[in-house]
Amino acid sequence: MGLFAPWFLAALAGLGLPLYLHLLKRQTSAPKEVSSLMLYESRTQASTRHRRLRYFLLLSLRLLWLLLLIVAFANPFINRSASALASNRLVLLVVDNSFSMRAGTRLADAKDAAITVLSGKGAARAQVAAFGSQLRFMTQVIEDQSALRAAVQAIPPGDGHGNFGELARSVRAMAESVHTPIELHLFSDMQRADLAATFSDMALPDNVKLVAHAVVTKGQPNWTVESVDAPGQVWGKDAKPVHVQAVISGFGTPAAQRTASLVVNGKTTANKTVAVPANGRATVDFPALDVPYGFSRCEIKIDSADGFPADDLRRFAVARSDPQKALLIHNYGDNRSPLYIGAALSAAAQSAFALESINVSEAADRKPSNYAFIVLSDLNSLPSLLENSLSQYGRSGGSLLIAAGTSAGGRSQIPIFGAHIIETRDYTRLPGGYMAVGSSDSSYPAVAKANGWPGVKFFYALNVDPGAGPAAARVIVRLADQTPLLLEKRIGEGRVVLLTSGLDNLTNDFPLDPAFVPFIEQTARYLAGSERQGGARPVDAFLDLRNAKEQAQGVEVTDPEGKRPLTLGEAASAQSFQLTEAGYYQLRLANGRQDEVAVNPDPKESNLDVIPEDVLALWQGTGGKGSEDASAPGPSAPGKIREALWWYVMLLVLFAAVAESVLASRYLGTQREEA
Amino acid sequence: MQQRFLDPAILAGISGLDLVAKTVVDGFVAGLHRSPDFGFSQEFAEYRAYNPGDDLRHVDWNVYSRTERLYLKRFRGETNSVLTILLDASNSMQFGSHGVNKMDYARYLAASIFYLAIHDQRDAAGLITFDDEIRNFVRPSTRQGQLHRLLAALEQAEARARTDFAKPMRYFQEFLKRRGIVLIVSDFWESPASIIQNIEPLRYRGNEVVLFHVLDPEDVRPKLNRPSILVDSETKQELEVTPDYTRKEYREKIDAHLADLRDRTLGAGMGYYLLMTNRPLDSALREYLTLRGVRK
Repeated sequence: MGLFAPWFLAALAGLGLPLYLHLLKRQTSAPKEVSSLMLYESRTQASTRHRRLRYFLLLSLRLLWLLLLIVAFANPFINRSASALASNRLVLLVVDNSFSMRAGTRLADAKDAAITVLSGKGAARAQVAAFGSQLRFMTQVIEDQSALRAAVQAIPPGDGHGNFGELARSVRAMAESVHTPIELHLFSDMQRADLAATFSDMALPDNVKLVAHAVVTKGQPNWTVESVDAPGQVWGKDAKPVHVQAVISGFGTPAAQRTASLVVNGKTTANKTVAVPANGRATVDFPALDVPYGFSRCEIKIDSADGFPADDLRRFAVARSDPQKALLIHNYGDNRSPLYIGAALSAAAQSAFALESINVSEAADRKPSNYAFIVLSDLNSLPSLLENSLSQYGRSGGSLLIAAGTSAGGRSQIPIFGAHIIETRDYTRLPGGYMAVGSSDSSYPAVAKANGWPGVKFFYALNVDPGAGPAAARVIVRLADQTPLLLEKRIGEGRVVLLTSGLDNLTNDFPLDPAFVPFIEQTARYLAGSERQGGARPVDAFLDLRNAKEQAQGVEVTDPEGKRPLTLGEAASAQSFQLTEAGYYQLRLANGRQDEVAVNPDPKESNLDVIPEDVLALWQGTGGKGSEDASAPGPSAPGKIREALWWYVMLLVLFAAVAESVLASRYLGTQREEA
Repeated sequence: MQQRFLDPAILAGISGLDLVAKTVVDGFVAGLHRSPDFGFSQEFAEYRAYNPGDDLRHVDWNVYSRTERLYLKRFRGETNSVLTILLDASNSMQFGSHGVNKMDYARYLAASIFYLAIHDQRDAAGLITFDDEIRNFVRPSTRQGQLHRLLAALEQAEARARTDFAKPMRYFQEFLKRRGIVLIVSDFWESPASIIQNIEPLRYRGNEVVLFHVLDPEDVRPKLNRPSILVDSETKQELEVTPDYTRKEYREKIDAHLADLRDRTLGAGMGYYLLMTNRPLDSALREYLTLRGVRK
């Protein structure tokens, strides 16, 4: 037995304090004069002895309390034999079920190895967990061998990307609540791609000993479809042919010819042979993807020539639909806006949108919900009925583009958007006669493709207040004098984009600039929500289900197995959903749109290269063994493990404190009663 | 009528005994209806029809004005009474747990009674102070300046030695040659049987004997917070006593002692009044005089 922090014993000097206080406060009985002792009798023995006993008991408890507290800080330990501690050890069996474990018989081998280890441990306390992208416990800490075996057998193959850093983080969190030593058995293919970015992320706590069981010892050559570039949406019957491009990668492979196939809804529509260099990549093009109306489940597949066929395909979903209708509401006599917007949409957006242009007086009999988005251009006056119906359209998921133009200068507020107009800015009076763009948010799709609108001259703009707090508008583009030019705001489920200048060539020369076409195209796609549809997502990505928290309209998610993973409560309130399996998810979002998403495993899982042995040995050395020497001031006895006792001493401190409180309250209570 | 009684502690702040006595007596007498039943002599007995030759000074002219008949007021004692106060000046009387000790209280009491007897009643009054001996004796008299002599004797009375009734009582007989009223003021720390045995002979000579038992509140309900050593103020004997004892057994004993003394005193045809030193003096005196009137 010893002390980890013996210098705390210096605090024993503090024991003098209660002694001093007790002696100082010790009551002495001074003789007291009375008229006569005629009626008094001597009564000394029992009560005084009783009081003294209580007094010394209280003093002893106070001294004991202080002593225990000091000892707890001094951190005592006892040397226990390692064999005795082993019986108290928690055996944690972690079976890797990341996507790469689907290669060959890796998962089955890992399970067999786990069961073998379990048999060798006898009646030890054990817990089984599966480890994909995160640690998932399959059992509680139990000693029932049959239940543990069943839990190992029940571990399903997964599609996640393993990360040993995440495993170490989970084990560190677990070790904080489990005070006994943990023997961590990891059954994995020890993929190099699973290593954390830094080695310190994988560090294990002192009381954890890692035993790695690698089911493979060296890497395997593997070809995979690393990525697919395909549009998520095809518009109309006569759309241009859709171009699909796929990248075929080989990991540890020799140069070889691979055959790639384009499969649409289970039917192979095209085959191509491509030469993949040794341990390299090759691109394969499919120039004409023809998909029927509706959602199509497409795949790029390569012929299976390795031990990991599960990664020989990559899914993507494509939807074909009629061009969506868009509505442009403009001032009476304004012919420029319809001309420029219509030309830009037809030039760039693959006939995705059919623009309908009307003036304000005709807008009353239009139903906004029939349109993918609505453009309001330079509105002199917006009838309140129309404004109300457009606001309702926006809240229920519709999107609007508002070009303020010159007419809005007479207003105090932008209709629907709600921003307060501070002033109008006429740049024609400036020396140059115009104002250029000062700063822009390049992450915004409508700006990204136009490189921030360089060279566009703005002659007139409104200075609006974007607001503050959660309801504030996002400013995407500012002019050089910091006047907000392009703003976006979410209203309910919908989006409203505001251009504080106009869409004609009177207030700016934007429609004549090459940046105008990509701006209109991307804005149209963004407002119509097309950019969210189709495409492919990696496993474990999150999908936005709704924008507005307050909207209780339910969403519906159907997973690749045809099940609905969301409960009714989650369907009514969940903001996002994690895609945990590879395959096709069908969605009905809160704004009423249908969608289908293809989910693919992380391409890193296809690289079956294993962790070098020296790295693995280094990782195994970070736990258990190192901890024994970490905090001990002197050498520990061979075969012995120092077990800290501060926890038990603190319990005694607690008991002593409670006993002291009870006794002191009685003792002092008696004195008060006597007083 | 609401009475305002005088706190003994306030009386202690008054310098002279004559002023104390005047304050006490004038205070409570002013608050009463004048009654012929009050006083130590000249006690009203009955009306009698006037007979020729009777002293016209005794005719009640008020009755005559109402009834047009002559009646004489008759009094029980035709001569003035003799009042003697026996004041215990032993060490135990020196004990006091608050502003006024028993000796002071006894002095105020005696002074007030002297004032009442001499100033208001014109009775003869005398004083004997004693402990285990007779320490001072002022012969009862109605002479001019008697009140001052008595008050001076009270001022000089110093508590010392211990109480012993047996020895001084033998000499009391010599001093008390005329019948009268004998008031004994003491804390009576002796057995009731012994006290009565020693005092009773005074009664045989036709005296009206009254015991004023003066006690401090702590004599009756001692306050003890912890086991303490108690010292007897007369014998200086020490005794260790616990709070438990004072809370239970002592209270029972003192209550029994007081009850025994009262019963034996009344049984022997003497008067008994227990006076606690925290009780207003005029209130105590008023009660005594009222009860005495009723008894007559």
